[in-house]
Amino acid sequence: MIATLLAQVSSTFEPPTLDFHALAPEITFAACVALLYLVDMIKLEDGRRLMPGLSGLALLAPLIPIMTLALDGADRTLFGGAFVVDNVALLLKAMFFLSGYVVVLLSTNHLAEGDFWESEYYLMLTSSLLGMVVMSSARDLVTIFVALELLSIPAYLMATWEKRSLRSNEAGLKYYLMGVFASALMLYGMSLLFGISGSTLLTDIGARIAEGNSSTPIVSLAIVLVIVGFAFKVSAVPFHSWAPDTYEGAPTPVTAFLAVASKAAGFVALLQLAFVGFAGRTDVVEPLMWVLAAASMTVGNLIALRQTNIVRMLAYSGIAQAGFILAPFAVMSDSATESLTAVVTYLVIYAAMNLGAFVIVIAVARKTQSGEISSFGGLFGYAPGLTVAMTVFLASLAGIPPLGGWFAKFVVFKALATAGTPWGYSLAVVMAVNSVVAFYYYALVLKAMWFDEAPYGDTSPVRVPVSLISATGLTAGATILFGVFPGLLGHFTGSLEGIIAVLPGG
Amino acid sequence: MSDFLRSYLTVGIFLGVAVVLVSALLGLSSLLRPSKPTPQKSIVYESGVDPVGTGWAQSQIRYYIFALLFVVFDVEAVFIFPWATRLEAYGLFGLIEMGIFIFILFLSLVYAWRKGVLRWV
Repeated sequence: MIATLLAQVSSTFEPPTLDFHALAPEITFAACVALLYLVDMIKLEDGRRLMPGLSGLALLAPLIPIMTLALDGADRTLFGGAFVVDNVALLLKAMFFLSGYVVVLLSTNHLAEGDFWESEYYLMLTSSLLGMVVMSSARDLVTIFVALELLSIPAYLMATWEKRSLRSNEAGLKYYLMGVFASALMLYGMSLLFGISGSTLLTDIGARIAEGNSSTPIVSLAIVLVIVGFAFKVSAVPFHSWAPDTYEGAPTPVTAFLAVASKAAGFVALLQLAFVGFAGRTDVVEPLMWVLAAASMTVGNLIALRQTNIVRMLAYSGIAQAGFILAPFAVMSDSATESLTAVVTYLVIYAAMNLGAFVIVIAVARKTQSGEISSFGGLFGYAPGLTVAMTVFLASLAGIPPLGGWFAKFVVFKALATAGTPWGYSLAVVMAVNSVVAFYYYALVLKAMWFDEAPYGDTSPVRVPVSLISATGLTAGATILFGVFPGLLGHFTGSLEGIIAVLPGG
Repeated sequence: MSDFLRSYLTVGIFLGVAVVLVSALLGLSSLLRPSKPTPQKSIVYESGVDPVGTGWAQSQIRYYIFALLFVVFDVEAVFIFPWATRLEAYGLFGLIEMGIFIFILFLSLVYAWRKGVLRWV
């Protein structure tokens, strides 16, 4: 029977016409990752010294095709709509590559000086980034799922990278179990979506579930399951329980990677699902997102107030920031363009400022060997450069002008206000209150750095390696630049017709 | 009730019958049979042989790596069989595609071999 079926379709196969320019960033990067594997394979232990530099180059090389694609400016659709290269996708890809590059800079010294496997770490990191880059263009359930697994599985391993540490093992195990659980929920939702619409393409699903005859509870169930699955990934309350333990236990460069790149990839998937797949059913998506956003900001901020460990504090602050990023989803039907712009802008700026904060944490921990906030005491006395940079990042996370975080919050408020609905205004109020609360715990770190005495009077200078200095420079530069010239992101986020066109009435 | 849900009703009825039947039979036999436990009787039954040691046994972690490597071939087979039945239709395009796919999987095998994973210590 299968043979007859195959015979029927065999005459209809046409090789897809491949737009190699559109695929160039992925192909370049995949080839570079394969080369990294070959180098590790051939040189074995001798290759350890080469790996950071080579993986850094592998992450920068795809920026060239991204730049040519951005200059070209045309939206490209491949594989029947499953893979879309537009300005937003290009911006997100560039963000992933650059944050990956910063993570490599962070990891170099940390790994070389600790008891770690080195070469394999860079292979895991680049493989995971490949998944994220594919995610930026995925407009199809299967592509999204494959990209998600490709980015998650290496990340689970990286969380356990400190092999002899129980905490690191606990971190990886919790992350793995929660991640697999979330994947299962998501797959269940995806199978329902496929059953309802008979297609895995998000545009087809969007068209089918927007029809009146599909207003059955099963559509709501499918949407809720898929969104809940990604809510685990972006650690939104009440699906955040793994985040603080994983962040604290994992090696700090891995934490930076999970808190920024991995979380951003979850948001990218949510972005495509919500704005392309579920745009016709905002009656289900919006209330869910409202609750997730409000709960994430409030709970994240309130727990962050009590933290004494800076990595845990940043973990809870990351949960609260996830709430800010989720907020525009709650008004996506009334201000579609503004919401989409707000999410993308916030993601890019969040990546810069949060990575920056982790760079300083790693740099300071090189001397103090501690993650406590009190270990930052008197930092200004002996490391003024690091103190100023940390002040920039924390002030940006708190949303103080003229830094990037301020502009990110501004566009979210703008999206909420443009909607003009009670839901939008009420969420804006929740967010405003939370921004004030958040400033308190960022200010505690600032106070420790600028006013407190150094613990044990130890004021010997911090030796900061070149890689960490350049990482600080990159992230601080981006944080300040996006705040002073917010128009820079506008080139990419300004022309969003490609995504918006599929929205009903958009 | 829609047809969709009615077909699940059958599943529900079967489930109920199964639960009732099993609990009725087990309950009946526990009421009827005599109960005279001795230490000999309550030993774990292992085909008449006295059990030795604890119920927890460790297996070699090496098997885990072999299981993982097996997945490489497994995935390869899952994709190659349907591909092979239609190779004529796919033509050169299909050949090159599968070549890339096999190369990537082959890379992982060579990687494992070169890292000494296949050596049985």
